[in-house]
Amino acid sequence: MGSILSTFGALVIGGIVASATVIGVVNAQTSPHGASPANVNQPIIQYGSTN
Amino acid sequence: MVTVDRAESAWRRWLPRAWSLALALLLLGPALGRGYVLSYDMVWVPDLALRGDFLGLASGLPRAVPSDAVVSVLDGLVPGAVLQKLVLLGCLVPGGIGAARLAPGDSLVGRLVAVSVYQWNPFVVERLLIGHWPVLLGYAVLPWVVVGARRWRTEASMPGALCLLVPLGSLSASAGVATAVVLLAFALARHRTRSNVTVLALVVAANAPWLVSGLLHASAASTDAAGADAFALNRDGALPGPVAALGLGGIWNTEVDLPSRDGVLAWLSLAFLLVLAIAGARAWIRRTGRRDAVAFGACWAVGYLLAVLTWLAPDLMGWLVVQVPGAGLFRDGARALVLCAPLLVSVVAQGAAEVWRRAPRAAVARTSLAAAIVVLPITLLPDAALGLSGRLRPATFPSAYQQAREVVSDQQRRDGDEAGDLLVLPLTSYRQPGWNHDHKVLDPMGRFLTPDYVASDRLVVSGVDLAGEDPRLVEVSRALAGSTPEARSRSLADLGIGVVVVEHDAPGDSPEVAGETLLDTTQLTVIRVAEPVPRTVPGGWIAGMTLAWVLYLAALLVGVVRISRAGLTARRRAGAKAMSG
Repeated sequence: MGSILSTFGALVIGGIVASATVIGVVNAQTSPHGASPANVNQPIIQYGSTN
Repeated sequence: MVTVDRAESAWRRWLPRAWSLALALLLLGPALGRGYVLSYDMVWVPDLALRGDFLGLASGLPRAVPSDAVVSVLDGLVPGAVLQKLVLLGCLVPGGIGAARLAPGDSLVGRLVAVSVYQWNPFVVERLLIGHWPVLLGYAVLPWVVVGARRWRTEASMPGALCLLVPLGSLSASAGVATAVVLLAFALARHRTRSNVTVLALVVAANAPWLVSGLLHASAASTDAAGADAFALNRDGALPGPVAALGLGGIWNTEVDLPSRDGVLAWLSLAFLLVLAIAGARAWIRRTGRRDAVAFGACWAVGYLLAVLTWLAPDLMGWLVVQVPGAGLFRDGARALVLCAPLLVSVVAQGAAEVWRRAPRAAVARTSLAAAIVVLPITLLPDAALGLSGRLRPATFPSAYQQAREVVSDQQRRDGDEAGDLLVLPLTSYRQPGWNHDHKVLDPMGRFLTPDYVASDRLVVSGVDLAGEDPRLVEVSRALAGSTPEARSRSLADLGIGVVVVEHDAPGDSPEVAGETLLDTTQLTVIRVAEPVPRTVPGGWIAGMTLAWVLYLAALLVGVVRISRAGLTARRRAGAKAMSG
């Protein structure tokens, strides 16, 4: 009984991870992530932000 | 039966390599397309011309020594765009395959997990996006340095490959320090003075270009104390800095964090690593042995403590970078986490092997569970896929860049040593051009053109202005403050500036400079400054840098000779065995 349950559990985990990976990757590609264009009137382009 | 065993053995050997390549292709995706990936500090151009500054003779600190010089030599053999793709793959695939060597050799799952964890983590993603490719090359080399250094210590014979790997892992100062720490931790042995001296000699030779150049600049250059606060270990999305550092995350720049790090996935990702690390800890200590365990632990501790110190005591770091020459190398706290990677990946891979050992017997369930563990790092950082979800995309330089290169090169040919150096205006460091998909990049103009150049090295982080480190730039700024275009031109000529390029699409002011207009387009203007006074480099600097490069090249040469000899010996042995068989 224990081995059937653990086998079933392993299959479920594998299935969840596989589905989550595909969904996550596809979602990430379709989410907006474009950079805002630079403005030549702004005094400087920042190297980055710590906030 | 023997054939089946061999086939299985080959399959087990090749699967981690194939997985590593597949992950690299998935991660880079569109970045491998036609053009140049320009992202923050990652600047690649079609043909990087070798010049004195790249060899360490610039007036400022050697930030890109020896990487720029090495690239400028290699892109004479391979086009710049192709070389960049090879380097990007080289930042990932060798690291993954090397990481598999740190996993238990008898566990395919452990080795595959090692590949996943080493190639798909916040450190790799953040450093790729911010463009620190020499750091990533050093990261890719580290597992091989561990393997080679262990062999050196146990067999008392230097593997020739180390003479190539250590210089390759030292293309920037911080990468060189990390590579050196790992080499010393694993290779030094008690009561073996000669071998230890050779280890130290290799470290010195591999790091000589940036080390000597840094020493030559030590008196003139200064580092802004405010940088210590700006570049300290930072939160990684949802994770506080010191917690994120356990999973190799926590770069200072939140702009390069991926959105998936903001939520529960960041916590799950860390939990995944910690659970496997705990599961594998005991078996890992048994497998690794005391001496190597201490080396792994020491590297991890140095990396983690350095990173956390920048978070915990930025004021102390600020004091150190001003007072202690070279301390500025450590102000980017998360960069030190490269030293934590070998231990992390080795223990986590062991944990995966232990979980796999206890997995259900049914083949389908075992396969399913193995696949889940191997793929989980990707599941928990899904937006790293396909060029970090499109944030790494190749761009094509505008034709004006090539036109500018041609007129400036012609001018250099005509004027020879009297041509003077290049000044890039406006005096701001970063650009965000539309042709680069509005992605930020360190101004590529200086590298695109052929002369030694002066460009701003002033950085702005979260509105805080960090002073540059190049004393020549201070003089140039003063010259640009002159009252008339003619006065500015004369002052620039006195400083050795012979050509000024003004980029019209870049933010910032560009004071007018008098001179002959060589090129004028909507994007840029190239002005020739009359009668520049050539900048003189002290003879001592040239002698010092010559020695440094001789040492660097000597290390590479020794590596090539030793590898060739080893290959020849192996072929002779195989031939003799075949004859006797």
